[in-house]
Amino acid sequence: MTSANHEPASIWRTRARDFRNEIKPYIRYMAMSGFPSFLSLVLIASAIGYFTLLRDVPADFPIVQVGVIVLTPVLCWSPMRTYLAAADVVYLMPREHEMGPYLRSSFQRTILKSVFLAAVVMLLFLPIYRQAGAGSEMVWIILAALVLKAANAAGGWQERKLAWNSIRLLLRSARWLLTALAVAAWLTAMPWQALLFTVLCAALAWLCYRLPQRHRLPWERLIAEEAVTRRRYYAFFGLFIDVPVLPSSIKRRAYLSWLLPRIPFVHRYTFNYLFSATLFRSEIGGILIRLLLLGALVNYMTADAASLSGWVTAFVYALFGIVFSLQLGGLRSVHRYSVWKHVYPLPEDKQTDQLVQVDRAALSAGLLLLWLPAALPLLLKGISAPPIAMLIGALAYVAIRPMRLRRKVKSDADED
Amino acid sequence: MESILKVEQLTGGYSPRRPVLHDLNFELKAGEMVGLIGLNGAGKSTTIKHILGLMNPHQGQIKVAGVTLNESPQQYRSAFAYVPETPVLFDELTVEEHLRLSGMAYNVPGGDYEDQASKLLEQYQMVPKRKAFASHLSKGMKQKVMIMSALLASPPLYIIDEPFLGLDPLGIRSLLDQLVEVKRSGAAILMSSHILSTVEAYCDRYIVMHHGKIAAQGDLDDVRRTAGMDAGNGTLEDAFYKLVAGGVS
Repeated sequence: MTSANHEPASIWRTRARDFRNEIKPYIRYMAMSGFPSFLSLVLIASAIGYFTLLRDVPADFPIVQVGVIVLTPVLCWSPMRTYLAAADVVYLMPREHEMGPYLRSSFQRTILKSVFLAAVVMLLFLPIYRQAGAGSEMVWIILAALVLKAANAAGGWQERKLAWNSIRLLLRSARWLLTALAVAAWLTAMPWQALLFTVLCAALAWLCYRLPQRHRLPWERLIAEEAVTRRRYYAFFGLFIDVPVLPSSIKRRAYLSWLLPRIPFVHRYTFNYLFSATLFRSEIGGILIRLLLLGALVNYMTADAASLSGWVTAFVYALFGIVFSLQLGGLRSVHRYSVWKHVYPLPEDKQTDQLVQVDRAALSAGLLLLWLPAALPLLLKGISAPPIAMLIGALAYVAIRPMRLRRKVKSDADED
Repeated sequence: MESILKVEQLTGGYSPRRPVLHDLNFELKAGEMVGLIGLNGAGKSTTIKHILGLMNPHQGQIKVAGVTLNESPQQYRSAFAYVPETPVLFDELTVEEHLRLSGMAYNVPGGDYEDQASKLLEQYQMVPKRKAFASHLSKGMKQKVMIMSALLASPPLYIIDEPFLGLDPLGIRSLLDQLVEVKRSGAAILMSSHILSTVEAYCDRYIVMHHGKIAAQGDLDDVRRTAGMDAGNGTLEDAFYKLVAGGVS
């Protein structure tokens, strides 16, 4: 290897290329799985819904609330792909003074992607905003979005440098809140008022970021963030094909894990206990909770609009239900290679029974929590066919799911 | 005395064409502690994996509590607890939840579980860490969780692979005291370790493995004799060195 290959910027390029090569085979499997067709179907259906809405925006359409909900996440979200790994604390940290070009590469590449995403969402939102005939000139909103995006990227970097996790989370919440308020201001107030408000928010954020203790370069944070990104890629590809098992990310989630001690202390519930803990605290649980929140919101909004006599809601409900159950299916693979599965004195068919019980309970809870915000607004409007169809579909799936899950567990075991 | 573990003519390994273990024969009786010693790669961990049922023998058979794994998987697995060389914990469980899981898996009665778990947590100075996740524990603490889980199960056989790695001096003392206690209560212990002075001090018999074969086994005099030394003269380390390196200490 020449010395140029040891330059940090060159290391970054090599790592980015290696990662692309690493995931290429999984992309192929994903492409063969039918997922792209499913995605195309979703896109077509969404496009039909979008243009129907655009043609005839209801007078009472909550354009500001929708604007805040869709724009805040894409403006605030400032990820950073660094490709750093745990071993870099030994091998790259001594060269911290040369890391500028490496981090610049990371920053440029990642910000481009998040700006692109924000631009797509803006492009979809602004025509509806114009049709709704609300608020400011669009050029001001576009300029404001650019400034907010840049400020959030800078804020995100400052947060990574903070030494204390609790302060970091606090400031991140504050950044999201201030951005949401600024977006609301730009969508409702006069440009000069919104500008004044945004400047005040930025000054407040700048002051907050200066106060706490900071790292020069947040190695551990960047390594942890990179690990989370890789896990998410593999969690996604894991829906289609076996992927390498990466160390899991664990959150305590007291609002769910209070249920754990309520599982009876008896032999036949051993794996109920283990799989419940896994579900509550692992990345799978986190994804399912985010899916439920997003699904509940989207279901409620479509149900409130009652498009196509509520059948759009039924479609969206089915969509979120499918994604939820697919993601929940990942639970069966979490302990697939655990030594304790073989060492604990519990027959494998009983382990499968217990997995099926946890899966069924979680699926039923998830489908019910998605059904309520989809069905109640429709029922209140006197529309009953789609809610009943959704319920029948959900019950039918909950009934056949154990059989399918057992088949998959058996096929996994045969492969092993 | 009742035989707890019986390994007969065991030949095994990862590939049928290249066995790693060759014709192993040994037995553990109730109330004895046996040290399994050998250089890195001698076959100790592979032997343990065969006993655990994680690998299938090419030839021979293994009986735990009188049954093979195929005859009665539940009876076979209920009869031993295992402490692996590298702690293998569930990231999503806290220290006390690991103990609870172990108690459920080994069917420990509810009342006994509470008492034993509290005692173990105190004995291993883990009370302040009982709500901590595995990823927040040091390596020694993880090993303590493994040991506590095994002791909680109170099986007739303990299979312990390199138990002292990462343990602090108090942890080592607690473990050894407890192993003596479970041995007195009639359990058998198969312990693999490189700390030969401790193995010599605490074990009743020794199995010396070399290149996948048993180079010597028995009490200290038996091992000395096989190593060509006089009875009553020289340590286990001296005999081991002669057996595996052919050297003179």
